[in-house]
Amino acid sequence: MCGAGAAPRSAHGRAVTGGRLWGSVAAPPPSPGDPFLPGCRAQSVPPVPGTLRAGWLTVQKHFPPRDNELGRPARKCHTSGMLTPNGKEYAQKIPREELTHVILKLLQAWKEPLSHFNQHIEHHQQLPDDSLSKAKQISNMVHELKTGVEKVTEKMQSMGIISNSLNGIASSEGTGLSISNEANMMSDSDFIHCFRRDSNKVQSYLKILKCRIMPENSC
Amino acid sequence: MKQRFISSVQIILQLALTTVGLTGQSYPGKPQIIRCRSLEKETFSCWWKPGSDGGLPNNYTLFYSKDSEEKIYECPDYLTSGPNSCYFNKNHTNPWTTYIITVTATNEIGSNSSDPQHVDVTSIVQPDAPVNLSLETNTSANMSYIWARWSPPPLADASFNSHVYHYELRLKPEEKEEWETVSVGMQTHYEVTSLQAGVKYIVQVRCMLDLGEWSEWSSERSIQIPKERLPPEKPTIIKCRSPEKETFTCWWKPASDGGLSTNHTLLYSKEGEEKVHECPDYKTAGPNSCYFDKKHTSFWTIYNITVRATNEMGSNVSDPHYVDVTYIVQPDPPVNITLELKKSIKRKPYLVLTWSPPPLADVRSGWLTLEYELRLKPEEGEEWETIFVGQQTQYKMFSLNPGKRYIVQIHCKPDHHGLWSEWSPEMYIEIPTDFRVKDMVVWIIVGVLSSLICLTMSWIMIMKGYRMMAFILPPVPGPKIKGIDTHLLETGKSEELLSALGCHGFPPTSDCEELLIEYLEVEDSEDQQLMPSHDTHCKNTKIILKETDSDSGRGSCDSPSLLPVKCRESHSLPSALQTQDVRAKEKKGGKGSWETQCTASEQKTLPCNSESKKSCTWLAAQLPSNQAAMFAYHSTVEAFRITLNTTNVNTSPVLVGNEENRQSLYPIAETAYDGMEKINEMEYSKTDQTTVQVRQNQQNDKSPFLNPKLMDYVEVHRVRQDEEPTLLLKHKENSGKTKKCTVPGTSKEYTKVSTVMDHHILVLLPDQRTQNTPVSQEPVAETSENPQQSQAEKNTSYSTTAPSDSTRDTSGSDYMDPSSFMPSFK
Repeated sequence: MCGAGAAPRSAHGRAVTGGRLWGSVAAPPPSPGDPFLPGCRAQSVPPVPGTLRAGWLTVQKHFPPRDNELGRPARKCHTSGMLTPNGKEYAQKIPREELTHVILKLLQAWKEPLSHFNQHIEHHQQLPDDSLSKAKQISNMVHELKTGVEKVTEKMQSMGIISNSLNGIASSEGTGLSISNEANMMSDSDFIHCFRRDSNKVQSYLKILKCRIMPENSC
Repeated sequence: MKQRFISSVQIILQLALTTVGLTGQSYPGKPQIIRCRSLEKETFSCWWKPGSDGGLPNNYTLFYSKDSEEKIYECPDYLTSGPNSCYFNKNHTNPWTTYIITVTATNEIGSNSSDPQHVDVTSIVQPDAPVNLSLETNTSANMSYIWARWSPPPLADASFNSHVYHYELRLKPEEKEEWETVSVGMQTHYEVTSLQAGVKYIVQVRCMLDLGEWSEWSSERSIQIPKERLPPEKPTIIKCRSPEKETFTCWWKPASDGGLSTNHTLLYSKEGEEKVHECPDYKTAGPNSCYFDKKHTSFWTIYNITVRATNEMGSNVSDPHYVDVTYIVQPDPPVNITLELKKSIKRKPYLVLTWSPPPLADVRSGWLTLEYELRLKPEEGEEWETIFVGQQTQYKMFSLNPGKRYIVQIHCKPDHHGLWSEWSPEMYIEIPTDFRVKDMVVWIIVGVLSSLICLTMSWIMIMKGYRMMAFILPPVPGPKIKGIDTHLLETGKSEELLSALGCHGFPPTSDCEELLIEYLEVEDSEDQQLMPSHDTHCKNTKIILKETDSDSGRGSCDSPSLLPVKCRESHSLPSALQTQDVRAKEKKGGKGSWETQCTASEQKTLPCNSESKKSCTWLAAQLPSNQAAMFAYHSTVEAFRITLNTTNVNTSPVLVGNEENRQSLYPIAETAYDGMEKINEMEYSKTDQTTVQVRQNQQNDKSPFLNPKLMDYVEVHRVRQDEEPTLLLKHKENSGKTKKCTVPGTSKEYTKVSTVMDHHILVLLPDQRTQNTPVSQEPVAETSENPQQSQAEKNTSYSTTAPSDSTRDTSGSDYMDPSSFMPSFK
């Protein structure tokens, strides 16, 4: 079961540390028959942004939002068009496969814009190195998180926890491209706002997913 | 005339006074004119205050004169202005004239007059206060004003209404102290402007004629100035909050409502939608709030919220408030907080805090994860100590100062975005001063109790000391053997004990050395010898006995005994002799001390210290065993063998079956031992005819001294004084000492007497079943009844074995073979 994890483990060494930072989602207690078995934890647990958030705060300092944080009407996020659960009940009702799908879609949608963003801020003279490295770290984490979630998804599929209806994920990358173009048009503060929102979304969905699959584990 | 009159009056007054003095009555007191006042300058009134009435009804009369005339008039009208007053109507009032007024009180005894009052009418004018003050408010052109009306003071004579008054008006807001005074003029109405809206005013007026004084202020009138009628001001949205990350509520603060009833409506639009909705629920969360239930709550969506206040005059809209519910989650404080003091292993108290998440928060779904933070401080402390706990719902606190009262509070927050909840209600816990104090008390109590018990015990011990001693150390029964002085033995007992004690401390050297006694023969006479009855196990002893000369088989078991071999000849002999000597002495007089034996042997055998010690240790440590005894036998035998081969007076014959052993060939008499040193003693013992012949068959001739195990049997021949019987203890050498070591079970006890032969001889049979059975009654007794005694006796050597007469008579069970103690020795 965990054999596949050997190779990715080294590749996602940081994912492990990220997982620790991610709190309950990142380090669920193992239970028999779940994909978060101890031996597999290192590779199966997705890294999520405890540091992502810290990094966000650091980066945001240099892109202060106008007025207060929500002091102006809707900014258009490139992921706004995506249909995502916007409440607890919805997130609990939606089939696990779809929830997983949503998570992956969100992560995928940020892959390209983040790398763009990184390139963009590299030319930003005022930014200290700390923020630059943080931004890169965030980008890496999102990538690793996506990989981790994919691994978990595969595992869950193989274990029959969720169905195999997610095979079309790869095809969504095509739409991701157009989305990322839209993202490139955003201002920096909007970008950060949207990323913050979506990272929070992903985190919430992952928590819900975990508690749906393993309700006995600290849920 | 006048003087006469006065003098006569004085006389009369004096009379009156005397009369008063007699009767208690007197002429009236002096009245006093209070004031004179003219309301309208045309009439006036004067009021007086009566003096004391002198106990009689008084009559008051007012006299007045004008400065222009000499004539004195009386008051024209006592009634109009009330009691004690005089009203001067228009006819009697002359302006610009000074009136001199006196009031006289008169009763039966006499009269008294007031001081004269000079009154000018024009100077005493003061009108009454205006009446019928009425107020109205009016609003015109956004201005409020008060319209006040009043009437001039009424006069008694209605015909004088033509007077002209000056008026003054004063007013103030109800709650204020300072009046604002306005001069009105002669009109009887006034309009007050520049008033504050919504304030209640109090108004008074007064009036004055063109001369004289101001009247009193009229009675108060108050009026409420109505509020302005304005469109409401902008309300303010205070905050929005989601207590459980599922619903949320927004509150606003209304601004001025313009004096009109105002409606508030909350409007919102969601991100990406144009449509504007109105608040779904104004009631649930109380006034000035809007509650969004689950259906209306979307996350990761920005709400654009405004509040509109509306009244008759118009409406006003608050600034927009943008909210993403994700970021406004502020849970309720944690509940079910418990504080518990526990004690750790080291008895130091620590505090265990437990709590539950707020009931609204659904933490089990994973939708909302809470983190907690607690703070505490001593009750009198200033600064809080704040501790972030994380997601756990309990916390242990160590290192709290004992004896202090702490205040603890907890709050919580969503793990990422969101706000800290309010602090939970204060919880108090008092850390006890010290747990150890209690323990100390307990220990003290325990100590006192135990010491009491000890005291009681010792007291009882003292009271019943002898009994206790007897219980613990039962008396050694004296040997009941003929020919031996029991008293001597008893006296010797203590010495035995002492010797035993003195030799303590030497550890037993070897477990291997055991002695088996196959059988015992007790004979009454020398001539009669009994063949020892061999145990089935020992049937081969004879065969082995023939081989006993060789060293084979003994080395393994007798390794400790090998050492002494060299020393045996040189030093063991003296020691053996010494022991023998002492023993013999004791036998004789019971004076031999075992201690001395031990010490003597040690001292004498300096070169062979180890051996002698060994012997001692054997004696001492192997108290219950017979080995020591055997050892003693052995040594004596050797001693005799070496020293006196032929001096043996004893007639004990050579035992059958001992022939193989050349050592055993030498009969040994106790008397003989002395022969080396003192023949006299020997002779003496001989005369006593207590001859004990010990025969030992030793397998190993080389080390007979240290190998009591080798002795299979001992024959003791005892010659009694009368009959000269011989108690013959036969120690037959153990057939195989090696065998013994390997097979410990071969040791036998001779506890049975098979037969009594010829009234002299007891035949003892080994009883396997009753090994170790204590022999309670053994008069014969080489072995004593208790182990100590046996030990002692063994140490003492054969003296105890000597008497045989009792053996003869008693049943076989009385005899206890020393070997019976061997198992315990093992």
